[in-house]
Amino acid sequence: MSDKTGGRPIIFLVARREIRMRLRSRVFIGGTIVMTALVVVGIVAASLLAGKTTPVRVGFSGGSQGLVSSFTASAAALDANVTVSDIADVTAGEAQVTAGTLDVLVIGSVTAPTAVVKAAIPSNVESALSLAALAARLADAGLSPSAIASAMGLVPVQLLQPPNPKNTQNVFASLVLGILLWIALGQYGNMVAQGVVEEKATRIMEVMLATVPPTRLLAGKVIGIGLVGLLQLTIVGAAALVAVNVTNVAAIPALGVASILGDILWFLLGFLFYATAYAAVASLVSRQEELQGAVAPISVFQIAGYLLMYAALPNPTGTLATVASLFPPFAPIVMAVRMASSDVPPWQVGLAVAFIVASIAGLTWLAGRMYANAALRIGARVRFMDAFRG
Amino acid sequence: MLSARSVGLSGTMAADRVLEIDRVSKRYGDVVALDGMSLEVPSGEVFGFVGRNGAGKTTTMRIVLGVLDADEGEVRFAGTPLTFQARRRIGYMPEERGLYPKMRLAEQLAYLGELHGMRAAAAGAAARTWLERFGLTDRANDDVQSLSMGNQQRVQLAAALVFDPLMLVLDEPFAGLDPVAVDLMSAVLREQADAGLPVIFSSHELELVERICDRIAIVNRGKVVAHGSVAELRMGAAERRFVDAPNAAAGWGEGIPSATLVSRNGSGLLFEIDPGADDQALLQAALATGPVREFHRVEPSLGDIFRTVLQEDAA
Repeated sequence: MSDKTGGRPIIFLVARREIRMRLRSRVFIGGTIVMTALVVVGIVAASLLAGKTTPVRVGFSGGSQGLVSSFTASAAALDANVTVSDIADVTAGEAQVTAGTLDVLVIGSVTAPTAVVKAAIPSNVESALSLAALAARLADAGLSPSAIASAMGLVPVQLLQPPNPKNTQNVFASLVLGILLWIALGQYGNMVAQGVVEEKATRIMEVMLATVPPTRLLAGKVIGIGLVGLLQLTIVGAAALVAVNVTNVAAIPALGVASILGDILWFLLGFLFYATAYAAVASLVSRQEELQGAVAPISVFQIAGYLLMYAALPNPTGTLATVASLFPPFAPIVMAVRMASSDVPPWQVGLAVAFIVASIAGLTWLAGRMYANAALRIGARVRFMDAFRG
Repeated sequence: MLSARSVGLSGTMAADRVLEIDRVSKRYGDVVALDGMSLEVPSGEVFGFVGRNGAGKTTTMRIVLGVLDADEGEVRFAGTPLTFQARRRIGYMPEERGLYPKMRLAEQLAYLGELHGMRAAAAGAAARTWLERFGLTDRANDDVQSLSMGNQQRVQLAAALVFDPLMLVLDEPFAGLDPVAVDLMSAVLREQADAGLPVIFSSHELELVERICDRIAIVNRGKVVAHGSVAELRMGAAERRFVDAPNAAAGWGEGIPSATLVSRNGSGLLFEIDPGADDQALLQAALATGPVREFHRVEPSLGDIFRTVLQEDAA
């Protein structure tokens, strides 16, 4: 049975209408602006919270200049971000420290240096300086450079439980993305539900079903609204990437390109899952006022997913997070958040995708059946089993 | 002689475009909605479908459109069972009117045209043509919800016509129309039938049905109980006579052999002649009361026929 009698396929036509109508609506335009603003503000806030990583400016004056190379090496070993400079005149150097254009002024000799600071010195800078001075004293005592190197070796640290390489800012960013994903899933799932009820409430349904097989009407609607959602998320995602580059928080993995693409994948899977479920229950009612009651069982899963997201974040590799991220109703949010905030084993991601794809196939069959049976029953709410049996 | 059988719907001769509803039955649980419904609507004919609420008119139309499936029986068009493709070329107006309220008129009609298989450009052109025909050109870019009810009805009719249908199936197309719109609707139905389409519609407005239909089917309890042209249906109905006998006593008219009193309006009385009886017995009885000012035949209206047929079906 072909769609075409010279015109375009029905699913394309239905989807195109949905896209046109939604893009024109204030809800879409306003929603996109609000979401974009939230994300950009969030990223700017994250970059401020992450703190300035501007280097500590250290000036060496007179006899202490011999410390520069070993100080730089020690600073690197201690993860201290420093820049070094030669200061010709101690008085001028002190003036710079007072003025705030220099953070640390090192005076004195290589074996007895003094650090001049305005109020405080970062502890790792102080340690680096002490190590440099210690090396100079050991050299002065006649130790060979190799003996000094072995004497100065830092104590190796063995980690029994490697820390999460993705840091606190990343957890925060993951949470923000998870919330946005959750909002988008709810918003676009509800949009499908409202679209289905609108067709019943305005009685256009019978005109449509006399022309369009119910499954294609449903598919066109879901695809059209899904693409609108995807467009919105792409706009928001692009704004996020721009903001990330401008504010230099690219070190936060949850805001990287791969992670944002992952979020978009989970949006699509989650949308298909929830949209078909929403469409099925929405076809049972004839009025917008009855819709909230009808979609309540689905909302319960969505809210549970939201709460599980918070439960999963502090311990993204724990049992609860792992199980929840495989369970199709929760996977779109929980797995997306886990993937952003930790390294999820690929087999778990694959399994979660396989589960949700299988669920989407099952739901599509169920929704098509319920929708076809209930779409023309205008009036009282259709019972689930009646819609299922036909 | 060459056979045109294989060329499909678009090549079918207009004369072959008969809609056949053949012994269609439909049950909703224990309720029998259609009980062997059969009728034929030839091309070029305006066909009226009358019956009480719940008689099965809407169910029949929904089955023709494929919106419902029949339990038994078959619907054929031009001799072949209706397929999805053929149904896409039926102009349909459901009993429950519906349009997208927030969609622009021209856009909505063009969309429906495309859904029915037209190319985009042709659908746009057809939408403009029908809007112009119904005097809505200057509203083409307004939302449907901003229109008056009468104008929404016009758009609804345009929606059934925009894709150049092969058949029209209209459920209560006259319900709620103002007199001007009734005239427009009647003219369009006649014009479409004249162009070679079978046009079937249901209505409770029997005077209108009598006026514009070529043929009529009266349905009751899920099947056709009488059908034919109005003239043919009248032939089956009892003969009626109007008698004005001003000097007749107050109770006169009851118990006259071979004639039954139907109604009384002052001294004017309407009788139904018993089947096979002569009307002269009634005239003589009237003359016996004094002068007779009027004595003439009365054609039964479709409403009269309708009530008689339903009474007979109930008996």
